[in-house]
Amino acid sequence: MTWMKITGYADKFSVHPGDTIKFLVNCDGPAEYQAEIVKMIHADTNPRGPGFIEESIKASCDGTYKGMKQEIYSGSYGFVVDKPQFCVESVTLQCWIWPTTPKTHPKYWKHGAQGLVTKWHDGKGYGLFINEDGCVEFRINDQVISTGAPLRDHAWHFVAASFDAKTGEAVLYHEPQIVYALDPEIEPVTKKLATKLAYTPGTPTVIAGYCGALSDAPQAKASMPAGTLIKGHYNGKIDSPRIANRALSRLEIETMKLGAQPGLSERRNSGPTGKLSEAIVASWDFSDGINTLAGKDKGPYLFHATIVNCPTRAMTGYNWEGQVFDWKTAPEQYGAIHFHDDDIDDARWATSFEWTVPKGTSSKFYAAKLTSKDGGEDYIPFWVVPRVGEETAKIAFMVPTISYMAYANEHLANNAGGAELLVYRVPIMQQQNMFLSEHREYGGSIYDTHTDGSGLCLSSRLRPILSIRPKYDHFLAQAPWQYPADLHMIYWLEKKGYEYDIITDEDVTYDGLARLEKYNVIITGSHPEHNSGPQLDALHNYMQRGGRFMYMGADGWYWVHSYHPGYDGLGRGIVTEMRRCESGIRTWRADPGEYYHQGTGELGGMWRFRGRYLHTIAGTGMSSEGFDISTYYSRTPESNDERVAWAFEGITYDEKLGNFGLVGGGAAGTELDIVDTMLGSPPHTLVVATSAGRHTEGYLLVMEDYGFNQQGLDGTQHPRVRSDIAYHETPNGGASFAFSSIAFCGALPWNNGDNNISKLVGNVLNRFMKDAPLPMPSPAAIVHRGRADYDQPMNKARK
Amino acid sequence: MIPIPRKSSPDAQRMIDEHKECIDSMKGVAGNSVLKCATPGDTTTVTGGIHEDFQLNRVLLRMRAQPAKGKLVVVCTKIEKEWRIARLSGIRGVPPEFVTDKVYDNEQDPQHDIFLMRLEEFAETDGFPEHFREGWKRRDDMWTVT
Repeated sequence: MTWMKITGYADKFSVHPGDTIKFLVNCDGPAEYQAEIVKMIHADTNPRGPGFIEESIKASCDGTYKGMKQEIYSGSYGFVVDKPQFCVESVTLQCWIWPTTPKTHPKYWKHGAQGLVTKWHDGKGYGLFINEDGCVEFRINDQVISTGAPLRDHAWHFVAASFDAKTGEAVLYHEPQIVYALDPEIEPVTKKLATKLAYTPGTPTVIAGYCGALSDAPQAKASMPAGTLIKGHYNGKIDSPRIANRALSRLEIETMKLGAQPGLSERRNSGPTGKLSEAIVASWDFSDGINTLAGKDKGPYLFHATIVNCPTRAMTGYNWEGQVFDWKTAPEQYGAIHFHDDDIDDARWATSFEWTVPKGTSSKFYAAKLTSKDGGEDYIPFWVVPRVGEETAKIAFMVPTISYMAYANEHLANNAGGAELLVYRVPIMQQQNMFLSEHREYGGSIYDTHTDGSGLCLSSRLRPILSIRPKYDHFLAQAPWQYPADLHMIYWLEKKGYEYDIITDEDVTYDGLARLEKYNVIITGSHPEHNSGPQLDALHNYMQRGGRFMYMGADGWYWVHSYHPGYDGLGRGIVTEMRRCESGIRTWRADPGEYYHQGTGELGGMWRFRGRYLHTIAGTGMSSEGFDISTYYSRTPESNDERVAWAFEGITYDEKLGNFGLVGGGAAGTELDIVDTMLGSPPHTLVVATSAGRHTEGYLLVMEDYGFNQQGLDGTQHPRVRSDIAYHETPNGGASFAFSSIAFCGALPWNNGDNNISKLVGNVLNRFMKDAPLPMPSPAAIVHRGRADYDQPMNKARK
Repeated sequence: MIPIPRKSSPDAQRMIDEHKECIDSMKGVAGNSVLKCATPGDTTTVTGGIHEDFQLNRVLLRMRAQPAKGKLVVVCTKIEKEWRIARLSGIRGVPPEFVTDKVYDNEQDPQHDIFLMRLEEFAETDGFPEHFREGWKRRDDMWTVT
């Protein structure tokens, strides 16, 4: 069965009126396809809701385009273009490696030899490789020598090889750094080779791969360098690769471990010794420029490698001592790059068509709808965002684009057996999942592990992201998640006739308070889990000055993210980075010493463990998750407090709130937030409704909320497994309403938007969007409040 | 340990009946749990199933904990119209393969059929802690992790 003949992406997430957005489309099969710009209203196909709704807007780029297949060349590597100095007669290669998949399954998507340090193409040149049997291999032209000793995975090894053109002698060294009691000795392998090194013009020097093909095909322009297809992608770390122009002795190889070392001579020439200085072709030091896309060469020729597809850097090197944990403090212990055969930073496709957004175009959710006559279909979502100062509404919806990137092309239902335990039913995969299960080159999400099993901590938006799609039900919810779920809210805004602007996480990150301050109220998406520091700063500054905030979901403000500065030249927010450190809900766990971002150098992990509690943003924070079914809320006595009673006008006290919905069948579900004044909820927070006591066994308390494992953590037993709808005032007439459940927005479209959740949200929005500061509560509400002595009404009732 | 009862046993039949009732009651819910909706398609009140049948609860947990290789999944082949049952390869880059020709007209029925298939496929003692197998040293044991 063929899935998704058409896929594509845009060069921007958010585009200003007057600017141009480019669309890059792969059409694999159909001779032509139709493109049409549509406004997105509702993306959920569930027959119990309003159904899928889009509106054609008659854009100038609408039309029929010739189909062209475009390929993604994923897998990270470093390269230096062909230079005569690399075309040596004799050679020595050396590096440290920490391989993760020295041997792969015959059906593995990139089964075969892996290149370590190579200038080799089609039987010409030299290179250090790992062969199919998982052993180190040295190639001189078409001649091969190998140790026959399989590399231990996830362990450091020193590997080196030399070839002497005069004698024809080749020597290969494999020296494991970790040697256990029963490991056989690995002797150097020597062999006389009757060959003279020859080179194919144009062959680059490659680190973590080799030159597989030189191609004139139009698709091959998407590779780096254009037309050069790298193969044999290596999985694992490489540290301190060196190339010398003669066969070095073992002692010289040992000395070359020191690298170029210009400080050893008052003349500052390269080389740990004068003799070695004359032999160095390249001596790379990846500890320099960890936040860049270059692998620095400290040798005499400055052959800095271009690092392609954003491998993971700031990784512990062969010499990491476990005394420092921040690469900025001791970069010399962070000279390793972890390459993966599925890394992808930019699909680099050819532009298929573009659209200059007319001035005056309304700020909304849009998509380029692509269809072929044989039933092929894809949507490329984007957002028209006003320039700062040209806001058109009192309301802004903040699209959680960093969270969308974190979930981009997520593979859990396919990769992780545990997915079924998590969701408490058999996962349902959609065409997007089926396509991705076969097309690993589209890259994964930050929830996935790489194909080598290591954590995936960088995600690019310059690739088709098939999870940001309408008509897409996610296995977690068996319903819309993220992008299509946020359109539940958009449908409701449209249905109720509100004027609103769209802004994205990247706009707020780069523009700060200026992006927010003209709006009376900011509305979040259903799951704004992944956030940059500048974005959180902006939200706090906004609320401090009287801004109003509607937190429409849960599990927000959880993970530390940063945009990689190395990609700033390509636009805003191209690659986002996140590390899964010592706590939080983690589908993988970062290794020791690898908690700091390679891009910004900041400590990754949860904001909570940077002293920025989730609950400080909107008043509630994540406490539990479960994905089988949702439930409803009941009002609390606090909902009658005159400070907040206005929110419940038209809703009786005993009504079941949200016992319906398009996510799990209720408004309280999937991931849930609660009030906790010890974790940053302001002590004057009012809990106005709660779902306490109604969740299933599939719901479990988050691990950062308990110190050791014990029974009794599920929704049928633990009191923190609940969602609290909460309200608090902020200074200068501002306020925050936290609805605290990812499933919440799924209740809004129910009965065409006529229901009690819709009523509640409408009451809040109508008050929050007003121009003047909100009225002050009565003087009786202004009292001293502690944190630990805050007592919820339910606790009082129990006493 | 609690064995996975043979399909022909009274225990299995009780669980099959309970499972089916639960799944049938979930039709229309955008989600699913092995619990019984008091009103079909409405999660306001849910009872029975995994909350009240301890053996069913344990057996389902063991089935769900199976590693990815060979695990049954549901694939939506036409949005809101057709679903089929497939099996995961466990190998990165090798997609799931359909295992039956049956095409379902709702997303809940395959959940029950997969339960029936697993009752046939799983050994009575599958998942017993003492039956760890090759790979147990590297976390590739019988209880999967993400």
